[in-house]
Amino acid sequence: MTQQSSRLLLVAAVLIVGLGTARHFLVPKTFGQRGHYRAAAVDAIEKLPIRYAGREACALCHTEIVAMHSKARHQSVSCEVCHGPAAAHTESPADIKPPAPRTRGYCPLCHGYDPTRPTGFPQIDPVTHNPVKACISCHNPHAPEPPHTPEECGACHGQIARSKAVSRHAQLACVQCHNTPEKHKVTPRLVHPEKPRDREFCGSCHAQDARSPKEILRIDMQSHNARYLCWQCHYPHQPEGD
Amino acid sequence: MDPLQEVLRQVTGYIYPNEVELHWGLLVVVYPYLTGLVAGAFILASLVRIFDVKEVQPTYRLALLTALAYLIVAPLALLLHLGHPERSFEIFLTPNFHSAMAMFGFVYAWYLMVVLLLEIWLDYRKDMVLWAKKETGLLRWTHLLLTLGATDLSPNSLRFDRSASRFITLIGIPSAFLLHGYVGFIFGSVKANPWWSSVLIPVVFLFSAIVSGIALMLLIYFLSTLLRGKPVDMPCMDKLASFLFYALVVDFSLEMLDFIHRLYEAEESIHILSQLVFSRLFLSLIILQAFLGTVVPLILLGSVSPALRRKGILNLPEELRRLLYAGAAILIQIGIFSTRWNVVIGGQLFSKSLRGLTTYKMQLMGLEGLLTSGFLLLLPILVLLLLIHILPPWEESEQHVETPAGD
Repeated sequence: MTQQSSRLLLVAAVLIVGLGTARHFLVPKTFGQRGHYRAAAVDAIEKLPIRYAGREACALCHTEIVAMHSKARHQSVSCEVCHGPAAAHTESPADIKPPAPRTRGYCPLCHGYDPTRPTGFPQIDPVTHNPVKACISCHNPHAPEPPHTPEECGACHGQIARSKAVSRHAQLACVQCHNTPEKHKVTPRLVHPEKPRDREFCGSCHAQDARSPKEILRIDMQSHNARYLCWQCHYPHQPEGD
Repeated sequence: MDPLQEVLRQVTGYIYPNEVELHWGLLVVVYPYLTGLVAGAFILASLVRIFDVKEVQPTYRLALLTALAYLIVAPLALLLHLGHPERSFEIFLTPNFHSAMAMFGFVYAWYLMVVLLLEIWLDYRKDMVLWAKKETGLLRWTHLLLTLGATDLSPNSLRFDRSASRFITLIGIPSAFLLHGYVGFIFGSVKANPWWSSVLIPVVFLFSAIVSGIALMLLIYFLSTLLRGKPVDMPCMDKLASFLFYALVVDFSLEMLDFIHRLYEAEESIHILSQLVFSRLFLSLIILQAFLGTVVPLILLGSVSPALRRKGILNLPEELRRLLYAGAAILIQIGIFSTRWNVVIGGQLFSKSLRGLTTYKMQLMGLEGLLTSGFLLLLPILVLLLLIHILPPWEESEQHVETPAGD
């Protein structure tokens, strides 16, 4: 055997023995007993304190709410999803009360608008949807009503509605100017309402010869910037003053 | 602005919520790029040992040291990406035979310990013994330690070195193929991802590795010779450029085969993939990888190197020729890096719904950032400088003319 072979074999032996020794000391004793993991980890996890009580525990006392909840649209959302881990509450119900989210921050975690959520899932824009109001002041989280089509445009277009309410156009219904397909209320981002497409539309109130109350501002439709649509210069939701 | 809204602005079409952010970032791009250079550099070295290509002999030792330097640094990219590098050794202690990634640790270790270190040791042993006799101080002790006490320089012993080294190279070629083929395998076997899932990916990875390795060695040889003020061995450069051209032709053909195959097969993913290529990957795939990284070097090398005609189609003077070779090699490096980018990042930019695209936002700082990756690309050069200091690769090549090493 050459000198090189013996030295290399020695190195190989050191490495193999080293690996074996490292395995002996570093690999946990219970590793591989049940699979490619440390079996004792299961026992260690078992000993962790139980924090969640489960819906059944809630049902023992809160019978009415659970009965209502189990038939409602939130039935698949467990109590502790909103109220937090409640095992401690079941131990001493009087001393420890589980929290209930009463602010606007919580519900949009599921119901805030996100295009990647399934079509038909109730979603709102938290900025424009009845600002400041707490969700629970209108919606019962234990038995939320199925989403209904908004009665007023202001439910979604709150900012526009609030501007219009203090403007000279306050008395006009939105649909007077916007031809709105019914489907817009259900799939607002797929079906859009229309905007006035010609000058004559505004002219029906504002032209010199319009049949409208005489307090309404009149414009000479022929000479007044005839190449533009009215709303290209005038913001119809809050038109200029006198 | 609502963070969700900010993120959604980068998204086009329909994607699932967990696809907005990419899980494999720049470090995972750097990793296959570095391992590719290892495999490529080693295969170039094997040309000398196994296929007896005399012209590229000056690059033999340099290629081995380069492969080692890049091999040492490459796993750092993964360790930084995964976090907890102190746990990495556990894949050796508790081997998981069902995990391709875990088994890759063994492929890596095999390549490092059995192939590369052994070949370098056998090749340098004689020199280390001789150097140690002339030297003093730390370098002497380093060389003595590295010989592992095997100081026998008898003809029998030297013959053993040569034949063992040749045998190791013989094992080394399939091992190098395995090393980088395996990196391609990791991507190619992700069957849920139509951009990756292809049996051709390991082969394409392998040939792009050979291309990048030869290009790197051409650059390193050229620059190191210039920096040392030595004359550039033009037959060596010409041969390297010719091999680079051949490898590039094969690599390009394989990539085109993959492309045409996908196009003809026209699976349901074809629409989103074509959107991906022409929007998100236009710069990195069409411009950098295909045009600047492949077509331009092909034209340069094809017309200048002796690959197609003995004196090259254009028959340019030596100075201009080697500059053009170096230019082509740099373009190829950019192209191959873009290839890795297009595979790793491109594969995560489209939704599994096949109906939307997201965007990769590279960080500047932080572990996954641009600076870390830049450092990792620079580090192998520093390691190589250290290796060159300890194991100078030049002397052998200079002595080679007088003392017939070889078999």
